Amino acid sequence: MANLANRKPPSLVFVSTAFVLFWLVVAAFPFLWTMWGSFKVEGDFFSRADWMNAITGPVTQRQNGSAFTGAGYEGAWVQQEFWRAVINTSIVVFFTVVISLTLGTLGGYALARSGFKYTFWLLMAALVFRAMPHVTLVSGYLLPFFELNIWGYLPTTIIVLVAINQPFTLWMLHSFFLSIPKDLDEAAMVDGCTRFQAFRLAIIPVMWPGVVTTGLFSFLLAYNDFTVTSMLLTQENATMIPKINSFLGSTQEEGKVMYAVAAVVSAIVPLFVLILFFQRQIVSGLTAGAVKG
Amino acid sequence: MPHKTFMAFIWPSLLAMILFIALPILSVGYQSLFIEHEQIVVVSENCGPFGCTKEASVDAEAMAELRAEQPAGRFNGLDTYSNASHLAFDEIGEIFATSENFGEIRNRIMNLPFYKALIFTLAYTFIVTPLVILLGFIIAIVVNSIPKLLKGPVIFFSLLPMLVTPLVGSLVLFWMIDSRGIIGAALQTIFADPSLSLKASPALTWVTLFVYGVWHSAPFAFVVFYAGLQTVPQDTLESAMVDGASRWERVRFVTIPYLMPLATFIALMQLMDNFRVFEPIIGFSAAASATSLSYLIYNDLRAAESPLFGSAAATSMLTIVGVIILLLPVLRRNWREFNRKT
Amino acid sequence: MARLQLKNVNKRWGSFVGVENFDLDIADQEFLVLLGPSGCGKSTTMRMIAGLEDVTDGQILLGDKVVNDLEPKDRDISMVFQSYGLYPNLSVYENIRFPLRVRKVPKDQHHDMVMKAIAMVELEDFMDRRPAELSGGQRQRVALGRAIVRKPTVFLMDEPLSNLDAKLRVSTRAQIKNLQSKLKTTTVYVTHDQIEAMTLADRVVVMNKGKIQQVGTPTDIYDNPANTFVASFIGSPAMNLVEGRLEDGVFSADGIRVEGLPASASGNVTLGFRAEDAEIVEEEAQISAPMYSIELLGEASMITWRLAGSLVSIKTNKEYRAEIGEVVKARIPAAICHLFDTKTGERIAHG
Repeated sequence: MANLANRKPPSLVFVSTAFVLFWLVVAAFPFLWTMWGSFKVEGDFFSRADWMNAITGPVTQRQNGSAFTGAGYEGAWVQQEFWRAVINTSIVVFFTVVISLTLGTLGGYALARSGFKYTFWLLMAALVFRAMPHVTLVSGYLLPFFELNIWGYLPTTIIVLVAINQPFTLWMLHSFFLSIPKDLDEAAMVDGCTRFQAFRLAIIPVMWPGVVTTGLFSFLLAYNDFTVTSMLLTQENATMIPKINSFLGSTQEEGKVMYAVAAVVSAIVPLFVLILFFQRQIVSGLTAGAVKG
Repeated sequence: MPHKTFMAFIWPSLLAMILFIALPILSVGYQSLFIEHEQIVVVSENCGPFGCTKEASVDAEAMAELRAEQPAGRFNGLDTYSNASHLAFDEIGEIFATSENFGEIRNRIMNLPFYKALIFTLAYTFIVTPLVILLGFIIAIVVNSIPKLLKGPVIFFSLLPMLVTPLVGSLVLFWMIDSRGIIGAALQTIFADPSLSLKASPALTWVTLFVYGVWHSAPFAFVVFYAGLQTVPQDTLESAMVDGASRWERVRFVTIPYLMPLATFIALMQLMDNFRVFEPIIGFSAAASATSLSYLIYNDLRAAESPLFGSAAATSMLTIVGVIILLLPVLRRNWREFNRKT
Repeated sequence: MARLQLKNVNKRWGSFVGVENFDLDIADQEFLVLLGPSGCGKSTTMRMIAGLEDVTDGQILLGDKVVNDLEPKDRDISMVFQSYGLYPNLSVYENIRFPLRVRKVPKDQHHDMVMKAIAMVELEDFMDRRPAELSGGQRQRVALGRAIVRKPTVFLMDEPLSNLDAKLRVSTRAQIKNLQSKLKTTTVYVTHDQIEAMTLADRVVVMNKGKIQQVGTPTDIYDNPANTFVASFIGSPAMNLVEGRLEDGVFSADGIRVEGLPASASGNVTLGFRAEDAEIVEEEAQISAPMYSIELLGEASMITWRLAGSLVSIKTNKEYRAEIGEVVKARIPAAICHLFDTKTGERIAHG
């Protein structure tokens, strides 16, 4: 649709194209660079001699006989047992997302359908809770958790992440349920359902787009969390991000920093795949809150 | 929906928030009034052939017992809040009394850990937020004007800096700005200064963290603005064109006013997120030149021998006060709107 | 047996009054229409009958039973919603079967009942489609089918035609009328469209600002509006209303003078008359004023004056010609005039 209002002079087209290219480099280049570099040895990735070394990898060639090496990955995954962290992360993320969504859909639905004043106060409280720096909450957990002897275990962390996630999940699902016409569940109730049956039979079948979007953000929160997992889990139960951080302590030794680089790339790749498949939902989720104001 | 049904639906969610958000805040408030036990010292006399020597040592057993009895430590009132590593009233008073000029006051205040962190946190929040909105807006306008085919890939790559874990994202940049990394080396070449290092000077570290912050959050502003641009009323744009508005005037008088509510939304989200800046300081190993309130708490909890719960809790309480001050205008606006509606 | 009574029903949200002292007795098999502008409380009243809103004060009786505290599902009603509320994941057939399923009607009866309902709303050809694949009118009929599939004691319809285009509205209106007379079920119908109210209703309840303005048969309401609100809401075009003074049986205002009105009242009154009751004349006219506009309607022309600040229109034959600004005269027989108290808006009884 060639709209006259949107036609631009060539100079403007040139400037905007140049700007887009510049932004693309800024946004994407660091990741591509690091991914490429993770298959080199430290001498190339951090090359004093020539930055081209990180691309061609002469030192890697000299040491391994090939321009690429999986040494960093082997060191991280096998020697440093990064695989354990991956499993822990999978467990934490899976249960956090499932429990968050279960509680969130029920609560968000109730908030969207109740007209009483306290819904406003609940939503405001959720907003304040959402703004709380997580580390302040963690400093509240530690002592009681030590006392109750539940510190260090995965289930504790999962429940904490679910709770920290709730304010956001509630807001998002609340505004999503507002967009489902009230007529639908009211029709079901007149047709003979209880409120819960109406939710199950009329609402659940149509709520999946909103739930998927919210689920993506719950996933990101749990996956990306450093504060809670680093403070609440023991070494053996550590998830990926705290594990990467613990690599940094030992980077003084030659080659160890490449373990961290390899682990970082391993943590980025799932996100790459996620964005690839769910780009549309992520974009719509980011804007969902904005549209509601 | 009757109250009973409402409760039936919301209680699990409510319970989780009360147990793990509201109660911890109370717990933090309680802990902030306590401080670690003093060490119980036992003096034992060792008498040898050359007379007796007195030796002081910590009675580990008694300490453990004491800790078990009073896990929060001993009561300290509000003293933790006013001590040198928090609000430091005495030190501030002294600084104002004895300093000669403003520069000295500034330098000395910057040596107090709490104020150092507070100032960095505020600077980060109020410098990064507007830059994010500005950069996000420009990217959105520009991406909106490129051919449709390219939009998908551009959005894909744009999302990366935001969705990648902050710690991981900052590590990726940290390795690149290393003096042996590509950006660090390039800067040395550009400024012809082989000793230039972004990690060495506090000012450059601050700038690096700000740049990271903008890089990390601009995609969020971009995506929100971009979605908003899709819904700018075409009629109004066209009528502005008929009325003789230039391209810039159309952006200025139609697009920007239309996107204002979105800018408010982004500002709110960004203020909340930037105020708790924390991971980049670890990722960039920047703690020597820049600390934030969140980092202070983390550091106290990670203290070498045993966590400094009291100190961390006091900082936490002060941070919470900060968050509430930050949110007050928003809460007031929402309250007014809610009252207008009912 | 399906008598529906509302006794002094009130709905308040905080200090906001939604419905005030609603008192009405709806007879078995009656087709009752709640008519009023948006926000007048008509939908709220219906939702209270359905049990979708709590009643703040008063009682609702279905048959002889107070249903205030019953869940919607226990009230034995069915309802057609403005946006239909169809289940998007179910086919037309399953949508209509839904009430039977959740009400645990024995399975072997389902098919016959659903097919009967489908036949009544003429959806045989669309049984397996999803709501998204249907036109607006077809969706409306699915909603209707779902309401009639079991035999409820009361039908509730909340602006069921307002999402349809004008042509479809007329034919669906006739279909609803026909269905109701066949099924003989008490029906409460909410609308803001006075033509729907006039054509469908046994009785019309006109509401404004949460209060009942008038209850009566369509003719009753048309011929004897109880106040200026009802007068201006019913009829197309609505009744002409002119403010002026009444003294000794003579009404006068700028450009209009009507004699022979009852002498019992006097003071500030509003005179009302219907456009079709007046005619253009050359002399012995009650209206004599410069014409404001002339519009050709097709079967007639409409002449408009501006009298005492309000626009007054009458209909005349379509060949009539006059220039805007020219003085045009019209006759308004005193017998067809309605008088209202200007201050209260209430009708002044007249012989």
